[in-house]
Amino acid sequence: MTQGLTPSFSSQDVFARRIVSELDVALDNVPHHVSERLRAARVRALSLHKQMAHTTAMTSNVQIQNGVASLGGSSGSSPLWEKLVSMLPLLVLMLGLMLIHELQNDFRARELADVDQALLLDDLPPDAYTDPGFLKFLSVPRSSIEGPQ
Amino acid sequence: MATEKELSDFLKSVEKRAFKRSVYHVRDEEAALDIVQDSMMKLAEHYADKPIHELPMLFQRILSNTTLDWFRRQKTKNALFSNFNDFESDSGSDEMDFLDIKAPEHDSLMGESAEQNFSHTQNVLEIEEEIKKLPARQREAFLLRYWEELDVSETASAMGCSQGSVKTHCSRAIQALYLALSAKGIKP
Repeated sequence: MTQGLTPSFSSQDVFARRIVSELDVALDNVPHHVSERLRAARVRALSLHKQMAHTTAMTSNVQIQNGVASLGGSSGSSPLWEKLVSMLPLLVLMLGLMLIHELQNDFRARELADVDQALLLDDLPPDAYTDPGFLKFLSVPRSSIEGPQ
Repeated sequence: MATEKELSDFLKSVEKRAFKRSVYHVRDEEAALDIVQDSMMKLAEHYADKPIHELPMLFQRILSNTTLDWFRRQKTKNALFSNFNDFESDSGSDEMDFLDIKAPEHDSLMGESAEQNFSHTQNVLEIEEEIKKLPARQREAFLLRYWEELDVSETASAMGCSQGSVKTHCSRAIQALYLALSAKGIKP
């Protein structure tokens, strides 16, 4: 049978296989209630497998919906790539926040500039005469402000 | 990922052997059924995404671990828990002679009479009894290697030991079975 092996090893192998062939025969004589319990256990395991497969599919769909649809899904890709793709929505969110911040700063600066411009171009308001600083300004000789010509 | 049908076929193909293996270990039919059921559930729950060809090895490991868990629980429950005697030395002086063993030339079950059938059933029961008497590690190695038809490296991986240990356990198990069955006049 296995001529390359030593006689002892080969014979052990043959003996072992004869033993297990007897055990295989004994499998057919498993009591009915045991077969039924095993069948029930198998059905429960398959039901759980179904649930797990469903959960896995749902998770996969959610990942695709979270901003990576343009990449065409992640089936067959490496875990590293999947991690990078899953971070993409966060990156987009951060860039968006930075852009909004910059736009708001710019808008605020323009608003202030408009107010300053309006104040400078407008007539002097009456309230200015109640401002001590303005009165001080008026009392200073014009020549000392402008400097010697 | 294994389909439902693939998983069903796989479980169907291994469930009876798994049950018998558990019975040989724990010697309690109800406990063995619970162990097999737990193993099936764990396989379905934690390894549902694995391809079908990885399931046999995974299932053997799960079954072994679940059986060990059962023994651990028994140990806490029962102070009379007996040890595994993993590395029990079979330093018996009776050297076996395997040279007189020959491969069967035909299917021995074909055409046997009722009396022969009864005798055969008795022989199988005796073989099962002797398998139960083997030290746990020897029994595990023998059944995984020859009944589950794992190769030496797969058996070593499933048992968490070296390939050399698997060979030693198998050899000692076969020697012990040969001596015990020969003493009873049983020649499988």
